[in-house]
Amino acid sequence: MKKQTTPPRWADWLLETCLSPHILEDVQGDLHEVFDKRTMEVGAGKARREFVWAVLHYVNPYFFKARQRTNKSSEYPSPSFLHPAMLRNYLTIALRTLTLNKAYSIINVVGLSIGLAAAMLIMLYTKDEVSYDRFHANNPNLYRITSRDYTPAGKPENFQSNTGIFQGPKFAAGVPEIKSFVRFESNRKDLKQGNDVKSQEVFFTDPDFFQLFSFPLLSGDPKTALQRPKTVVISEDMAEKQFGTTDALGKLVLIKENDQFEPFTVTGVAAKCPQNSSIKFDVLLPKIVPSEEFADNENWFSVFLNTFVLLTPNANIKAVEAKMNQIYQADAKNTIVEMRKKFDMKSNAVYSLQSFTDMHLSTDLPATNGLADESNPTFSYILSGIALFVLIIACINFVNLTVARSLKRAKEIGVRKVVGGGRSQLIIQFLGESFLLCFIAFALAVLLVILVLPTFNQLSNKALTFSYLLDIKLIIGYVALFIITGLLAGFYPAIVLSGYNPVQSLYSRFKFTGKNYLQRSLVVLQFTLASVLIVATLTIYSQFNFLTTKSLGYDDSHMVVVGKSGLTRSEARLLKDELQQFPSIVEVAPKNGGFWGTIAKVGSDEKQLSFAYETVDETYLPLFKIPILAGRNFSADFPGDSTHSVLVNESFVKEAGWKNPLGQAVNFFAGEKPEKYTVVGVVKDYHYVPINQKIKSQLFTMKPKNDFGKAFIKIKPNTETESLQAIERTFKKLFPISPYSYSFLDEDNLKKYESIAKWKQIMLFGAILTIFISCIGLFGLATLSAERRTKEIGIRKVLGASVSSIVQLLSSDFLRLVGFSFLFAFPIAYYAIDKWLENYPYRIDISLWMFIATASLATLIAFFTVSFQSIRAAISNPIKSLRSE
Amino acid sequence: MRRAFLGEFEELVLLVVAACTTDAYGVTIWEEIQQQTGRSITMSAVHATLYRLEEKGFLSSTMGGATAERGGRRKRFFTLTALSVRALNDIQEMRSRLWQAIPPGKFQLIGG
Repeated sequence: MKKQTTPPRWADWLLETCLSPHILEDVQGDLHEVFDKRTMEVGAGKARREFVWAVLHYVNPYFFKARQRTNKSSEYPSPSFLHPAMLRNYLTIALRTLTLNKAYSIINVVGLSIGLAAAMLIMLYTKDEVSYDRFHANNPNLYRITSRDYTPAGKPENFQSNTGIFQGPKFAAGVPEIKSFVRFESNRKDLKQGNDVKSQEVFFTDPDFFQLFSFPLLSGDPKTALQRPKTVVISEDMAEKQFGTTDALGKLVLIKENDQFEPFTVTGVAAKCPQNSSIKFDVLLPKIVPSEEFADNENWFSVFLNTFVLLTPNANIKAVEAKMNQIYQADAKNTIVEMRKKFDMKSNAVYSLQSFTDMHLSTDLPATNGLADESNPTFSYILSGIALFVLIIACINFVNLTVARSLKRAKEIGVRKVVGGGRSQLIIQFLGESFLLCFIAFALAVLLVILVLPTFNQLSNKALTFSYLLDIKLIIGYVALFIITGLLAGFYPAIVLSGYNPVQSLYSRFKFTGKNYLQRSLVVLQFTLASVLIVATLTIYSQFNFLTTKSLGYDDSHMVVVGKSGLTRSEARLLKDELQQFPSIVEVAPKNGGFWGTIAKVGSDEKQLSFAYETVDETYLPLFKIPILAGRNFSADFPGDSTHSVLVNESFVKEAGWKNPLGQAVNFFAGEKPEKYTVVGVVKDYHYVPINQKIKSQLFTMKPKNDFGKAFIKIKPNTETESLQAIERTFKKLFPISPYSYSFLDEDNLKKYESIAKWKQIMLFGAILTIFISCIGLFGLATLSAERRTKEIGIRKVLGASVSSIVQLLSSDFLRLVGFSFLFAFPIAYYAIDKWLENYPYRIDISLWMFIATASLATLIAFFTVSFQSIRAAISNPIKSLRSE
Repeated sequence: MRRAFLGEFEELVLLVVAACTTDAYGVTIWEEIQQQTGRSITMSAVHATLYRLEEKGFLSSTMGGATAERGGRRKRFFTLTALSVRALNDIQEMRSRLWQAIPPGKFQLIGG
């Protein structure tokens, strides 16, 4: 049937599209006949040109419209392919092919829906992450004032996201583009709630707060709410808690100031802050800066709050920044010189503006110090990457499996064509079928998302709702994905198979051999990804395990922490005496609250050192079982200890470069007047900072001027209930106007692992998902190959092959691919985990067993997936496979 | 039934179909017309005319059996209808009437 020369295909195609079908056959036949004749006479080239020329003459409306004019021409009118009977037939056939192999269909559809659901969830997550702070109406013009230190040589050093009381008002006064500023300072205040005293996070801010930010007030005037002192704006939640109603305007809130409760008038009740807001407040107080503070130019260097500014629209950021720095240099000129002298400060601060919406995901200038939900964009990137991969792999698997199954339907297509099915009908049928499948998968995915959303919220620490997804862009994205997946899955049977001559598909057995490079490389890709994720998961798990079980260097068991700001020596003494009357309480050790750091000149060479500054008493070190390596602990026997002696840790000694640390001098010069201390002991390094940070220099003092801020209370094991009751009663008796709250130190320590725990969860989630999806793909391929080789297996069995040898034959192909994927996976995995582990100063070594475990796990999973099919093929009766054709 | 108007080319095609000794289909008709007139004519013109004549009822067509050449495509064979026979006869009659009406010697006078 094949000829040496054929007319150009595109010309044929042109003819097919331009001519109405009932005259196409004879016209095309005539043209081909002439073409063949001319090929003999004048050669192929000329004949082709003539053919094209002839065809071009058919491009006119007459031939195109011929169909509409002649109704009687078709002897057998083909019913519309949307005829109800045909539709019913399509549906029946679709359902039959689906039920023919239920497991197969379920895996196919469920695989896609899981991939889709994962992608939807992650889309929700990232959408929420990037939507942070975007709800403010002033948005493109909202900025935060930040700064960066530069060395004298001009090298950039650390970032500073905080500012002080000066930057806002001074820059706003000097730069015309800055319309207004708002300072936002986080603080804690004690609040009276009924008879209880609660420690509450409060924020001091400027009157323009509600002009700059779009936080609606349920009641109260946003312009004047924060103008007068002794006023307060509370959130609706807070109002509900305080007064049992949101109608709280004009009511009084008692807030402790200077050791007594003072009434503050509620001038506004704000609606709950949106979940995706960096500013989340319950109590807002007006920021009042005493005039003497404002006169002290050293305040340029005291940074402790966030300053936000509103610029005029279209302001040039670079110009504004330049003006800001001019103002700073001019106004703080003398102070800069003074500070340099006083603190040996070398670096130079340069102010800049950070877009308000960039804050949430910034790693250099994070949303800290009273701003909520600081987030690392890496999480989003990695999650999005996993989502994208899972989605792509799921879609490709779906396409692959659907195509693989449709190959079996070549005969159906042939029969349909023989009994008069047009090509367009076949296209509609197969595309319709794949769209139907796709639709089921999408519907399932939506269902799945709705089901797992609560769990996901818990894991990701968010309050996402499904309505988030009802966004026009996302919907368009999903519809596009739906159409692409449906088209791709239906493309092969609909376009390619329907194009074949029925004779071909009916007589000869359809060949779907071939190398299938695409599918093979897909398997390799999937298992590469899966292996990388398995290695990552294993590493994170063992690192997590290492960190949580590693000794902290001190004993944190049965330790209750009670906070009390401004705990004086006498109060501490009192607390200790009262508590020690209870038999369940072992010992009490007070310590400064929060984390203190300072600088001093140390040793004979007056080297300047910065270090953690711990105010303790003599009970602290023994209570925590922290060993003293040299010298002695503070002791009541040496009354001069509190004013003359300090203890330092090993890192301090190393940093100071001392050979003989005892007796060395530590010279505090930054305070009001210089003070000199002597080192009397060296303490073994212990993890006073979270264990994912390096232990740095630490110094212990008993200096009486430093107040304590909390007390560690060691209780006897299994006496939690009575001890806590005793502590609470004692605390309330001694400090009735201080808020009482307690925690267990070992539980607090565990909380520090939250970030790594999050990594752990994400990785585990990603690994399981990828493995699952990869297995679906592998399963599909195994099925296909087993089906393809049915006859071969039959013959092998007849000739005496054993089941195990056939299983081996069918599986080894795929296992080789999986093995091949390790070649890519392991270097990538090694690089990735090495990079990740660099974040941890105390970490596990990358060991070989992780890779071996991964390899065997992946191989095992792959083997089980494949052997499911190959065993089925191997134990089937050879008669069946050989008899039927 | 009103006699339909036949164009010159249409008439030519009808005559060729009538004159064919074998079954007439696109290619034979096309070749015959070119041969008879000595003009170069595109196939599409012939096809368009054939279908138009069929629509007007001057020709009827049937599809032949499958063929071995031309990609297995069938041929469409055209035959004259009673209407076209009448029309051709009418034209022929009218022409001969007109020919007879020409005064003798007029052609010699003009043609010189």
